Amino acid sequence: MILLWANIKKELLLLSRDRVSLLVLFVMPMLLVMILSLIQDDLFRATGETTTTALFVNDDSGTAGALLQQELETNGALELVTEIAGESLNRERAKQAVFDGDFQFVIVVPETFSAELDAGAEASVQAGLRNEEITTKSSPVTIVFDPAVRGAYRSAVINALRLGVVGLELNRKSEVFDRLLPLELQRSMTAKFGSMPPGSEMEMPTVSFDWTSQGLIELQEELAAPEKYTTLPTSVQQNVPAWTLFGMFFIVIPLAGTLIRERQEGTLTRLMTMPVSSSSILLGKVIAHLAICMIQFVLMLAAGRFILPLFGTPVLELGSAPIALIVVASSAALAACGYGILVGTIAKSYDQASIFGAVSIVIAAALGGVMVPVYVMPRFMQELSIISPLGWGLEAFLDIFVRDGNVTSVLPQVLPLLGFFLICIAIAMVVFYRWRRGS
Amino acid sequence: MAASSADIILATDHLHKVYAGASEPAVADLSFNVARGTIFGLLGPNGAGKTTTISILTTLLQPTSGKATIIDYDVVRHAKKVRHKIGLVPQDIALYPSLTARENLNYFARILHLPKKMIASRIEESLELVGLLDCADRRIATYSGGMKRRANLAVGILHKPEILFLDEPTVGIDAQSRNLILERLEGLNRAGMTIIYTTHYMEEAQQICDEVAIVDMGRVIASGAPQQLVEAAPGCKNLEELFLELTGKQLRDQR
Repeated sequence: MILLWANIKKELLLLSRDRVSLLVLFVMPMLLVMILSLIQDDLFRATGETTTTALFVNDDSGTAGALLQQELETNGALELVTEIAGESLNRERAKQAVFDGDFQFVIVVPETFSAELDAGAEASVQAGLRNEEITTKSSPVTIVFDPAVRGAYRSAVINALRLGVVGLELNRKSEVFDRLLPLELQRSMTAKFGSMPPGSEMEMPTVSFDWTSQGLIELQEELAAPEKYTTLPTSVQQNVPAWTLFGMFFIVIPLAGTLIRERQEGTLTRLMTMPVSSSSILLGKVIAHLAICMIQFVLMLAAGRFILPLFGTPVLELGSAPIALIVVASSAALAACGYGILVGTIAKSYDQASIFGAVSIVIAAALGGVMVPVYVMPRFMQELSIISPLGWGLEAFLDIFVRDGNVTSVLPQVLPLLGFFLICIAIAMVVFYRWRRGS
Repeated sequence: MAASSADIILATDHLHKVYAGASEPAVADLSFNVARGTIFGLLGPNGAGKTTTISILTTLLQPTSGKATIIDYDVVRHAKKVRHKIGLVPQDIALYPSLTARENLNYFARILHLPKKMIASRIEESLELVGLLDCADRRIATYSGGMKRRANLAVGILHKPEILFLDEPTVGIDAQSRNLILERLEGLNRAGMTIIYTTHYMEEAQQICDEVAIVDMGRVIASGAPQQLVEAAPGCKNLEELFLELTGKQLRDQR
């Protein structure tokens, strides 16, 4: 224990004196550019053209729901899924699928959609022709979304849906307008002249065009489990954990650097002739750098909670499971430290460690959804994303922050993080042991 | 110096080391004994196998074959026990440059299992011995070459090891620092510490070593007291001439 404490204290002392390692930044090589380009390509398409997948539940007893579906699929904004595993969707099943994180959106068309659309169009156009006040009311088309979905993508889906709905409304209003206009003309003229003599002047009715901008179908956003969330997830809740993880993983560079410097300066050689175990040396490094990561984590959360709101952002809500938060942060920090030890033992020079360490972290961050959400990546990139420890950490943080997660619910992410740490340390120990044996 | 088996503190027996991928052994059939309380010089040109031998004796490397014992402990099988008995002053300045000399010594004192109560006094003693007490709280990075060498020695003697290995401890330093280091080593030896010393400076070896072994191509080619070796070689006035006679004048950088 004394040896371990001596190693921890030495590491902290070295860290406090090594400002350069805190300033390590490198230009991203070609590989990184390629991966980011791939991801962002689909990001742009997701917010512009197509490919965002949404569940579609059509409860409409008429034909308008099917026409809306057709409109959405035709304009290419959304890819609609109407059944899961061969079973048609209902509202509850679809909401559960979103809550489980399998899909990000559900569009639910109400049963009275066609009837209310027809009635609304009739009333709206007629009120316009008669210059009367427009009074229409309809059941909303509901969009249920995953709490983890970022605002930009939510807006993109809502806008796509609004576009489809407006098209449908205009179509119906036009039909009604075509039908009502001659009738209204006839009614108006008859009321004024009775039976009209040939050659007499015809007075046109005064037409109000307010109805062209009057929406008939209301869109309503709804959380997958409204009873669990009192507030919507904010950009702060999504970005702070993502970039905190990114920052924590950058501990890899100074940590690997201490190992490489000890090898280059000869202190590791000297230590190997002393009565101290390899595990004590490595564990000392892990614990000291774990402490740094945890301080970093606390400071980042504090910034989200206290500093960012000063600039107009929402306050970071930390969920209701502080123990789970500590468990996830510690696991992610351990994974980062284990990776740092591994890089430090395998790399031959500080340059190698810093380049490989930095680039691999950025790639893992990109794959893990730190920069753009995993669900907007191409399918094969989504499949690759499951190998990213940053992705595991981010998923666990989002689970706590926006899905009311707890220690049990984050275990599927925490266990891989701890496993990753153990594998890294085990490989490093083997390499270390081989050094000590002079192999 | 003839030593009885009870006086032998270090013994190598047909020590052999071939590095992975190398065609020639770095150390070949190396056998020598070191008597307790002596200063033993391990001399040889570059690539002769001195550092490999020191690395095996200090538990950093495992021999391919053969055996080495320190105070009757096998350096491979009882490596942990050996590490408690030895001190190493490596050729590199194996210190943390961003820490002060005192911080370095404090860390290594704990690693060396020195009792907590003794740590401060041993640090003072070591610093005093190498003449660094006045600048103990300066970072190593700010030291001159000679000061770094002396700080390097201070760590090696911190726990008063029974046997101290020094791998070219006076390379590239000023005459004053070299003189101080040699004086201190002789003092430590008089106090009972056995010293294994490698150097390229033959006059140093002749000055302080009780016995030397000249190695080349991984083998011992001559051993004995320096004065006796010189006297036994006609035409050699000193150890350096004998060394060149035995090892030749061609450069050894390619090995």
